[in-house]
Parts: sequence; C-alpha cells; structure tokens
Amino acid sequence: MKGVNKLFPLVLLAALAACQKDRIETRRVAKEASPAMPGAAADGAARPAGLRWTTPAGWKELAGNGMRAATFELPKGPGKAEVTVVALPGDVGGELANVNRWRGQLALPPFAEDQLAGARASVRSGAGTVLVYDFTGTGEKKTRLVAGMIQVSGTMWFFKLMGDEKDVAAAKPAFLKLVEGLKSDAS
Amino acid sequence: MPRSATPAGRLASALSSMKLTLVCLALLMILVIACTLAQVPLGTHLAVERTIRSFLVWWTPEGSSLRIPVFPGGGLVGAVLLVNLLFAQFLKLERSRRKAGLWLAHLGLALLFVGEFATALFQVESQMPIEVGQTRDYSEDTRLMELAVVDATDPAADTVTSIPQSLLTPGAEIANSALPFHIRVKHWYDNSNLGMRQPSDPPSEATGGIGATLSVREAPVVTADDAQNAAAALIEPVANGQSLGTFWVSNALGAPQGFAREGRSWRLTLRPRRYYLPFSMTLKEFKHDIYPGTDIPKNFSSLVRLRNEATGEDRDALIYMNNPLRYGGKTFYQASFGKDDRLSVFQVVRNPGWLIPYLSCVLVALGLLLHFGVKLSASLKAVR
Repeated sequence: MKGVNKLFPLVLLAALAACQKDRIETRRVAKEASPAMPGAAADGAARPAGLRWTTPAGWKELAGNGMRAATFELPKGPGKAEVTVVALPGDVGGELANVNRWRGQLALPPFAEDQLAGARASVRSGAGTVLVYDFTGTGEKKTRLVAGMIQVSGTMWFFKLMGDEKDVAAAKPAFLKLVEGLKSDAS
Repeated sequence: MPRSATPAGRLASALSSMKLTLVCLALLMILVIACTLAQVPLGTHLAVERTIRSFLVWWTPEGSSLRIPVFPGGGLVGAVLLVNLLFAQFLKLERSRRKAGLWLAHLGLALLFVGEFATALFQVESQMPIEVGQTRDYSEDTRLMELAVVDATDPAADTVTSIPQSLLTPGAEIANSALPFHIRVKHWYDNSNLGMRQPSDPPSEATGGIGATLSVREAPVVTADDAQNAAAALIEPVANGQSLGTFWVSNALGAPQGFAREGRSWRLTLRPRRYYLPFSMTLKEFKHDIYPGTDIPKNFSSLVRLRNEATGEDRDALIYMNNPLRYGGKTFYQASFGKDDRLSVFQVVRNPGWLIPYLSCVLVALGLLLHFGVKLSASLKAVR
C-alpha cells in the first residue's frame, strides 16, 4: 500500500518540506525572566495560567520555582510554616495517592479509599470545589499540614500549608480564604 | 483506430469521465462526514490530518501496531479529481472562443485544488500569546516540542540551541557544533503523568534537577482541542564520555534545570516549538467589547506596535476579528484572550499559497460571467 503514496511526487515535496523544518538551530536571544509553566500562556509569567488568587493580607507571594507555581511567605510566628502552590498536568495519581503522599510527609499511615470522605472538607471557590485535608503528625514536635487540591482545565493544583502546628493553626483561616477566593482564568 | 480502443485511450476516457467525478465527489462527502465525526474523539487538527490531509485513511486495530488502509484520503481523492478535471477539460471541452468562459472557470477550479495542496504542504500554524506591555519576536506550536539548550553564561543575552522533537527519539545521540557536549536521549514520552515521587516508587532515573523528585509515567496521547500533552524526555548531556547529569525535562515543568561546565552555565527546557520572527510585536492594548447588558462578545481587538529593525519600520497595527495583520509573509489573526483581558492570543499562519484560493474564485467567477454572458448574448440575438 505504501506504493500508492509513491505515485505522488507531492509526498516527496512534503517530506522535503518536513526535513527543512526539523533542523537544529542556534540563535542569540534576549534573556527571559522565566520559562512557561504548565498551561502558561506567556513567558515571564511565573504564575501559570488557569487560576487566579488574592494574596491574604500580611502574606508575601514569592516567585515560583521548580514545580512550584508560587510560594507564600507568612508573617513571622513562633515556628516555621509556609504555603506552596504546585500545578501539574493530569490527575497526578488521583486523590487517594496524593492524600497518602501528604500523610507520608507527616509519617502517618496511609488511608484506604473509604477513609477519604471522613477526612475531606469541600471548600467552594470561584473555580470549583477544592478538596481540603488537614492532618497533624504524631511526633513530639507536631507538624501540621492543610492541603487543598482542585483540577482546572486538565491541570491539578495543590495548595499546601505546612509547618509547625501552632503556626499552621494561626494561618489556616487565611489559607482557607485564599482557597475560597480562587477564580478560573479561562478565556 | 479510434482513440478509445487503445489502452491509453481507454485510460484517458476513464480519467475524463463524469462518473469518476461523481464518485470522487461522493467520496469527498463521506470524508467530510467522517472527519466531522472523528473530531469528537480526535480533536479538529488530528481529524483533518488523518482524513482530509492524507492520501489514505489508516486504521489500526486495537492492541496492534498494524496499519490498514481503509479509505482513500482527501489528498488522493483531490488528486484524482484534479486529474479528472484536467483530462475532461483537455479531451472533451471544445477549444473555441464560445467556450472561453468554461475554460476559465475550470482553470480556476483546478487552481483551487493546487491551492489546497500548497496549503497542506507548506502552511505552518502557530500561536502567539502576548500580554499587555509584553514584546514578542516568536510564535509557538503547542503541538510540537523542542529541547532548548541554553548557554546562559552571558548576562546580556542567551545563546539557545533548539533541538526539534523529531530528533528526540530514545537512543539518539545528538551533537551540534554549538554545544561542547552531546545529548543522549534515554526516554521520550509524547504524553506523561508527572507526580511527586512516593516512597514506594523505584529509584529515579534522573540525577539532577527537579526531575529527581518526580515520578514520570508514560500516558496515552490526548488530542482534544482543549487538551495539552505533557511531553517528557529523560536526557543526559555527555562530554568526553563523562555524564553531566540525567534530567527529566517536560513542557509541564516550570523553572529550568541545568548544570555548569567549564565556567559556563547551561539550562535545559522542553518547550513548545518556537518560530522566531525577524520583527517584534508589543501588545499596547487589548479590547473585549460586549453588547450592552449582556456577556455576549461584540468585538475583540489588539493594538500592537510593530518594530522591524531591518526595515526601520516602527508603527501601530490594529488586529481584530476578520481583520488580521498580514506582515512578513505571515498572517496574525485575533484568536483568543485571557487573564482578565490582559492577554491576547494570535493565530499565526504562514501560508505561501494564501492568495491561490482568492485567485481561483476570481477566475471561476469571471469564467461563469463570461460563459453566461456569451449565452445571454446568443439568446438575445436569436430572439431578435
């Protein structure tokens, strides 16, 4: 059947055109602030497209790095805590895998599927429902984690507040306000 | 001996027959329906590529790598129709002044086919998302990736070596005179699921960058118009037989990853394929007008500043719906917008044959006017 295509010199032309397109090229360009993030529409935009939020009063939003779309520096408390935002394409393993990843970070035993509903809080935001979990570690110096996940346009967004238990407790209302205030950036 | 009695004559007769025209038109109608239905699972681009802009429509049974041709594609039917049209014209159409209009109309029709082939072969479509105040000198093809190997040592500018996706095949060793190392491609996934590594995950194959903390699994390719694949490649820069690290790169990952070697700083990024322009555009203003009292869009327009250092051109241009900017062999259409109307997206089309359809329509119209004019004139003479 391949012979059919050979009948058409246009195919050859197409192949030649394709070859011309696929060359390694080197050029000197102006420096860029940051490359595109998942779903990002423009260079220099440290925050990926898809979600918008309002930074709570007293918090300072820092530029993203690595997989982080953003990091929030919280007002100084007795211990340490920070909020991170990560955006990844797809369902990133699903709800159970991510909840157990968070529990693993606190050295807590993994959940079974039927335990999710009991621990889950659903927070309504302008971009849809955010599934929020709140776990506290069992160690002497207790670490607490409040994390929310929401899927927008095929990208999974994770908002995580983690740190010393007292600092996390103090920051949780503002964290929930941040999550409630999420808005879709879709055009 | 009559011409149709010879094998060549019979072939010419078959190729010029009206039956062939009707069969081709019927096949085209089936293809259009099939393409429309295929857009649901495949998305517009892939559906058109597989049905209209191919010579054969292939089918791969589930779970098999076998490709079976099941139907003629738009390219094949169009080519046969073009041959049919030319044979019919030259063998059957009377060469006289009386039929000049029909000759012209047929020529216009043939040109329409040629134009579509030129579009299929040479048209390049890409997108230019640009925020208010931002300047861009390139467009991007989000369906194709490239590995950008950036020498970021110079604080004034970067030197970027772009390796197209087609070369990033597993096992490939990519060398280029601009790079003091070669790139070994270990894995390439058209789409992948990226996730945080779980304690139960096997050791990461990546030794450097953010990828060492990720689990990367191959995923089925998505083709819907609003879906984007998270392509991923595991690559290893190697110099003089020594590995400089192994990195997972993906268009879904944010900040760049890199390494230093002999006093130079290198960055690795998998990103949408870029087409650089010999000019730049700055988005000065984006307007999204709606009908009063509703959310129904009335107009989208982008005011851009066009600068071309080579020609000294520095002027404003307004791009809005149905009024694209044609410049430098490319056409910039207002395609989309976002980010609270701070972002405008242009569809950038390079099609060297863009004038052909217009020319063919003019020829067909002129031909028909001439033909019916001659007929009308003859009828009027007969009445008198």
